[in-house]
Amino acid sequence: MRRRIWADPRLGLLVVIVVLVAVFTALRPAFLDVDLTIVPIQSDLTVFVVVGLAQLAVLSLGHMNLAVGRMAAVSAFAAGWAYDKLAVPLVVGLLIGLAVGALVGAAAGWTIAATGVNSFVVTLALDFALIGLVSLLYSTFSDGVAFHVAPAGMDILRGDTFADYCAGDLCGPPIPLVVPIALVAALAVGVFFRNSRLGREILMTGSNLQAARLSGIPTSRRIIQAHTLSGLLAALAGFLLAVTNGAFSADIGGSFLLPSFLGPVLGGTLLAGGAVSVLGTVFGAALTEVIQTGLNLLQFEVEKFKIYIGIVLLVALSLDRLRQVLAERRKQEVPRVPEPVEQKEGVA
Amino acid sequence: MRTPRLTVAVLAIALCVVGCSRNTVHSDQSALSPGQVKVALVPGGPHPYFQPWKTALQQAKTDFKLGDVTFNETSAWNQTTQNSVLKSLAAQGFNAFGVFGVSPDTINSTFGDLRKQGFHLASLGSCPAGDTDNADFCLATDVRQAAYKAAKSAIAAMGGAGNLVHLTGNKTDSNTTRRIQGVQQAIDETGGKVKLIQTVTDIDTDLQTAQKAVADLIAAKGAQINGIVTTAYNPAVASAAAVKAAGLPVKVVAIDDDPTILGDIKDGSVTASVVQNPVGQAYIGSYALSRLAGGCAMKTSGQVIDSGSFVVTRDDVDTYDTQRQQETTQLRKDFDDKYLNCPKA
Repeated sequence: MRRRIWADPRLGLLVVIVVLVAVFTALRPAFLDVDLTIVPIQSDLTVFVVVGLAQLAVLSLGHMNLAVGRMAAVSAFAAGWAYDKLAVPLVVGLLIGLAVGALVGAAAGWTIAATGVNSFVVTLALDFALIGLVSLLYSTFSDGVAFHVAPAGMDILRGDTFADYCAGDLCGPPIPLVVPIALVAALAVGVFFRNSRLGREILMTGSNLQAARLSGIPTSRRIIQAHTLSGLLAALAGFLLAVTNGAFSADIGGSFLLPSFLGPVLGGTLLAGGAVSVLGTVFGAALTEVIQTGLNLLQFEVEKFKIYIGIVLLVALSLDRLRQVLAERRKQEVPRVPEPVEQKEGVA
Repeated sequence: MRTPRLTVAVLAIALCVVGCSRNTVHSDQSALSPGQVKVALVPGGPHPYFQPWKTALQQAKTDFKLGDVTFNETSAWNQTTQNSVLKSLAAQGFNAFGVFGVSPDTINSTFGDLRKQGFHLASLGSCPAGDTDNADFCLATDVRQAAYKAAKSAIAAMGGAGNLVHLTGNKTDSNTTRRIQGVQQAIDETGGKVKLIQTVTDIDTDLQTAQKAVADLIAAKGAQINGIVTTAYNPAVASAAAVKAAGLPVKVVAIDDDPTILGDIKDGSVTASVVQNPVGQAYIGSYALSRLAGGCAMKTSGQVIDSGSFVVTRDDVDTYDTQRQQETTQLRKDFDDKYLNCPKA
């Protein structure tokens, strides 16, 4: 049991995060400032966890979604348009955005499944097409490049934390109201891949397409479903960013691509498919957010800032690799009980 | 076992949200002495346009006896990153910010958040999109007016007729929309004599992108083009060099005062350049922020103030900076006389 804990890559990430928080706090005590550091980190993390989950949904197949940012943009457009032109409530606009994201994701999945063209190529082409489409849609349906609309509840969702709500002297924790949305999304994705037949079949399709097909799994349908989930989550990330930023604008999703891979990959999700780690994605996103905030507080010049981001990431990953090697060694030193054959597909 | 715990947690949160009352926090904005004012200037990312801000800010620190100043260009043209940079600077004790917002469409929310927490905000170099500005004031080039002036200069150099091309920045930036409108206004005034044959956007990312776009444009339409108006820095430098190298009789109107462009104006390969006032934005912006932190208030919160734009030609290429300095001096006077409401000493 102890060996299994040490072999878990998520533990390594958690240790690295704790060490970095301690180091940054020692260097800059402002790292623990609740209003100016802790709360903003959580809001940003909410978006990047959901973006990571959107990429994770297709990484489960060994696929990529390079259009994750534009799917968010087109969905945010749909939600913004609904708020602006139809004056729908906050939840209805969110549902419209999610539906559009899911549809675009499904279209990508269908194209990949029907043509057999690599997901990299299909989503790259889709990304280019959506860049133009989003720009065209905003110039046609809005005054410029954004909908400056705030449906009832959006400002509260954006700016409030649970600490703003008190029963007598007892107030909630300083956690932004958007955080539970990401938590629910992470829980739902985790349960989907761990407990549902559909999720397990998607992982099996990612692990070995041929074997999955021969086992009677409708692999084409599973590919479409995984991409639909990716589009849906990208749409949720787009909505959360629009809420956080306070407008539904054409540049939403423009910076999603790198973080979408960083979270899952740092967290142990395989690029080859067949295994995903939802908790690892949360930790991976948290690690990048901690590094970014810590280096911001240390106020490096722009060139040094980028060098240090690279160095800290490299050191963090090397430490994690060191932990893995040590765990492997300990495993080899105690070969008393035969290890069970490891299944490739799985949810960590 | 897990499910009941989860249900209890969700119910507890739901009950709190339903049953709890909302706490309203009011910020404290007590007057600060100049030595307590710490000004941070935060551009959208690294760009040659902002380099004069550094020296202007240091000058402001000395002249206005500010407690501390910093120039932070690590926002990487990403609004989320810029928000994070601003909050980090605030956490370190900076209490007045001059910000070139990455996204004019969303920067207002950031301004609103920071002002609620008691900080002083100036929107420098670019105003938020829309009719409201949640910063204390906006000190920036009127980009539509600057683009209009640039297009008018290009049209005049073309003899009032012919084909014009407009090279500009990011299409999802509302400032680009304003620039496109300014150029279109100048063209409309020609009554059809000048035709806009192409508007090339998204080429201000870096010089290489701009050079490639300009090379492609000249290869495809070089013979048809009579004038090029540029309303972004990198396309300006790239088009001046490309037209000069190709030896085409194309009239180029550039933007800003990069030494290359000034040299091209002197040798005649660039007709004119529309020069902005980044020094004035940083220097006067810091001055006004220190006055606001010292207890003054804007007469009109969110006031938009034009920092000035000047058409520089061969005739005044050596003297235009004097005009710019006069504009900066006038801006300070205007803040004292017209825009600020200060308690009597």
